[in-house]
Amino acid sequence: MCKVGIYLVCDYLNRDGFLKAVEICNRYKIDFLEIGFPFSDPVADGPVIEKAALDVLKRENTGDFFKSLKSAREIFKGRLYVMTYANVIFGYGSEKFAKEAQMVDGMIIADLPLTESGKFKRIFDRYNINLIHFATPESSYEDIDKVKKISKDFIYFVSTRGITGGSFSLDQETADKINYARNNFNKDVILGFGIRSKDDIHKACKTADGVVIGTEAIRAIEENRFENFIKSLRQ
Amino acid sequence: MNAYYGIYGGQFVPETLMRALRELEDAFVQFKKNKESKRKFQYYLKNYAGRPTPLYLAENFSNYVGAQVYLKREDLLHTGAHKLNNTLGQILLAKFMGKKRIIAETGAGQHGVATATAAALLNMECVVYMGKKDMERQAPNVDRMKLLGANVVCVEKGSMTLKSAINEALRDWVKNVQTTHYLIGSAVGPYPFPEIVKYFQSVIGKEAKKQIMEQNGKLPDSVVACVGGGSNAIGIFSGFVKYKDVELIGVEAGGESLELGKHSATLTMGRPGILHGALSYLLQDEYGQVANVHSVSAGLDYPSVGPEHSYLKDNGRVKYDVCFDNEALDAFKLLSKMEGIIPALESSHAIGYVVEHKDRFKNRVVIVNLSGRGDKDLGIVKQIRG
Repeated sequence: MCKVGIYLVCDYLNRDGFLKAVEICNRYKIDFLEIGFPFSDPVADGPVIEKAALDVLKRENTGDFFKSLKSAREIFKGRLYVMTYANVIFGYGSEKFAKEAQMVDGMIIADLPLTESGKFKRIFDRYNINLIHFATPESSYEDIDKVKKISKDFIYFVSTRGITGGSFSLDQETADKINYARNNFNKDVILGFGIRSKDDIHKACKTADGVVIGTEAIRAIEENRFENFIKSLRQ
Repeated sequence: MNAYYGIYGGQFVPETLMRALRELEDAFVQFKKNKESKRKFQYYLKNYAGRPTPLYLAENFSNYVGAQVYLKREDLLHTGAHKLNNTLGQILLAKFMGKKRIIAETGAGQHGVATATAAALLNMECVVYMGKKDMERQAPNVDRMKLLGANVVCVEKGSMTLKSAINEALRDWVKNVQTTHYLIGSAVGPYPFPEIVKYFQSVIGKEAKKQIMEQNGKLPDSVVACVGGGSNAIGIFSGFVKYKDVELIGVEAGGESLELGKHSATLTMGRPGILHGALSYLLQDEYGQVANVHSVSAGLDYPSVGPEHSYLKDNGRVKYDVCFDNEALDAFKLLSKMEGIIPALESSHAIGYVVEHKDRFKNRVVIVNLSGRGDKDLGIVKQIRG
């Protein structure tokens, strides 16, 4: 069964709305959630997620995000991850951040490639938080081997060269790399970037173990149709 | 290669860019060994850009401050600033790598103009990202870039200054990494960019050292340069860093005051953080969110700084201090009237620092890197000072 994960920007549009969205995801048995902790300079994100992040930052800080994360953990029964940027952790104090984040299953850090991940990994390991690693269309087979070897949780396969909020397509070369990542790997390979509909999920799941949807989920929240959107993915 | 300067530097970028950084590093190593590439670079520096630039003993200014002040005249380089050293070098490197398209960010517009110029010369497609606020305060440079054939993209997100322009250029690069070279304009960004920019800017330090030996018979007591991202400073410091008796001073933008949000004095007031691919000093709040910064000079208006400067601060080799907006504006007018040289507002910070600290420079031999000329700043100076 292909897994579906949803990315939510923490406390967007506001705390109540965010927690309502978490509850909806739980009710429709979304497999996992990625909670985005906003950063002032989100270079891996397109305009939709950037705008949402900057909007939240006008009124909240990391202390607020952890409060909401705690509530989200109580509501949501599936696996829970925090997705953010390196300085949200480093600038807050990596040890302090890891300690407060113990309730999550893993951390996804958009500007942390495998080669820089060592120091972060050592800290998160102490708190039993898995660091999620990336593979991309630019990864060599050797790179993918390294990621498979080190990963204790899913591999986040970035479907396309680009930022969040693009459109979804897989070329043969990338599909080959995804297959290679899945081969002899006992965790999931999850596809992200550009996936927005039931149709995309169907296409992606021919190759991968699951998908994560971000930008389109944020849009659905903004347009007050989140529940219908989640329902449509689950039908 | 080691991607770090002490604890600073590294490659904090989305995984998608890692292959490009590896390829860039390999190509850079090959480029440096390649005689033909080096010959071309030297050829363009001399015959096109106008190197060597003079080292000029500014007598009137020297008398005023009571020291012997030499100006390294990067303002006389083609396009009016040191930026062209780096853009010529990197576009030759990009061609060497087979790239077809150049993207760049710009703050004051000097790097954008230098990129558009080198791209026109060497026939490359060129896109320059520039914050909306900077486009307004540096309008003449926008027109220049357009005339040179560059596509100038207005960035209306975030702070709408240099930081936002770099964010947007990085996003473009992730998308078009197979065809495109990102021509970073300062000694910032993920490794190997800080090393590449230093390599191409080190010509300033090499020349200055040779020239001061010819004119003064010995090394200077002090070398002063302004620091935004830090490319002109790292370029001139590189010629003197191994001579421990030469005092090196980097001057940051003190802005209106040293309250967070009102200055760009990253090394003076910041603490280590990760932005735009590198761990370096960073102006940030207690949660790691990047702070708003300010400087009257668009080229210094940046919350981070090249990682090697962070290293040079911590090990004490370079002293970093500030010059405030009003001091830089005074220096802008002073040098214009006294020497007939209109300095860029960026470089005016280095001049202003010498003026404000003239007691400690008394009877000393000082080189100030005059990194650019100030024609582009007439509008903003007029607006502030009338």
